[in-house]
Amino acid sequence: MSVPRAAVHAKWIVGKVIGTKMQKTAKVRVTRLVLDPYLLKFFNKRKTYFAHDPLQQCVVGDIVLLKALPERRSKHVKHELAEIVFKVGNVIDPITGKPCAGTRFLENLPDSENLTEADTTYLSEKLQELKVCSTDK
Amino acid sequence: MPMKGRFPVRRTLQYLSQGDVIFKSSVKVMTVNYNTAGERSEGARKFVFFTIPQIQYKNPWVQIMLFRNMTPSPFLRFYLDNGEQVLVDVEEKTNKEITEHIKKILGKSQETLEKEEREKKKLSHPATFGHKKYHLRECMCEIEGQVPCPAFVPLPKEMRGKYKAATKNEASA
Repeated sequence: MSVPRAAVHAKWIVGKVIGTKMQKTAKVRVTRLVLDPYLLKFFNKRKTYFAHDPLQQCVVGDIVLLKALPERRSKHVKHELAEIVFKVGNVIDPITGKPCAGTRFLENLPDSENLTEADTTYLSEKLQELKVCSTDK
Repeated sequence: MPMKGRFPVRRTLQYLSQGDVIFKSSVKVMTVNYNTAGERSEGARKFVFFTIPQIQYKNPWVQIMLFRNMTPSPFLRFYLDNGEQVLVDVEEKTNKEITEHIKKILGKSQETLEKEEREKKKLSHPATFGHKKYHLRECMCEIEGQVPCPAFVPLPKEMRGKYKAATKNEASA
C-alpha cells in the first residue's frame, strides 16, 4: 500500500490563525463554503487545523497558507506553515506591493516629522484631555 | 408565493448547475479579495454575488475564501497543487470578463469535459438490471411488451409455480 504524498485529504489550505499558545504549533481556522440542502445557499463551515510553525512567526489573526505534511507529525498536526499570506496589521497589496490598511494605502500618510505647528498644538491639546487625574477616595 | 431574498434565482439548482467554470484538478484554493464599496470593485462584487455559488457548486473540493476590505485593489488568487500561485487583477473588470478570464486560464476545456463524460458512461453498462443507483432498470417487468409485474397484475395460471407443480405431480402419479 503505497501512499505517495500526504496522509490527509486537504493538500493546501488557507486559513486564519486563532491560537499560538502551543510551542511551534499554530491553531488555524479554515472556512469552506458548504451548500445547505434546503435553502440552497452557501454558508461558511469552520474547521480547525493544527500547523507546524518551527520559527513561531505566526500571530493571532494572520492569514496563512498551510501545506499537508507527507506523514503526520503528531496525533493532530498534519500540516505545516507554507506561507503567511497576510500578516495582521501589515497587509501588503500584492498588485502594487505597497502596505495598506482597509481601502487605503499607508504610504501617503503624513509622518510625525512633517507635522506643522498647528497640528502639534492640536495634538498636545488632545493629549491633555486624555490625561487621567487621580480622584480622592 | 415568491422566494425570499434579493436575487433568489441564485438559490435554484437550475441556476447553480448552469455554471460553466470547472477548474482543473490542480486548483486547490481560490481566494477573492474585494471591497464592499467603490466603483473599482463593482465587477468583483457582482462576481462574488452571482458567480461564486455556481463555481462552488461545480467544484465542491476547491476551498473558496472571501476577504472583504483588506486591500484597496480587488484581486483573485489561486493556489495550485504544485505550489504555484496565480494572481488575477480584477480592478475595473465586469463579472462576465472575470468569469471568461478564469475559465480560459484555469478551467477544464470543453474537450476534456466531453472526454470525462464518455469515460463515465463507459463504466456503467446500460443493458444490466439492478439497484436504481447503478443501473437503468431494476426488473424486466418495467419494460413494455414484457410480462407485467405480478405485484400489480396476477400471472396466468399456467405460469404459476403451484399450477406447474400440481400438473407435474398429476403426470407422475
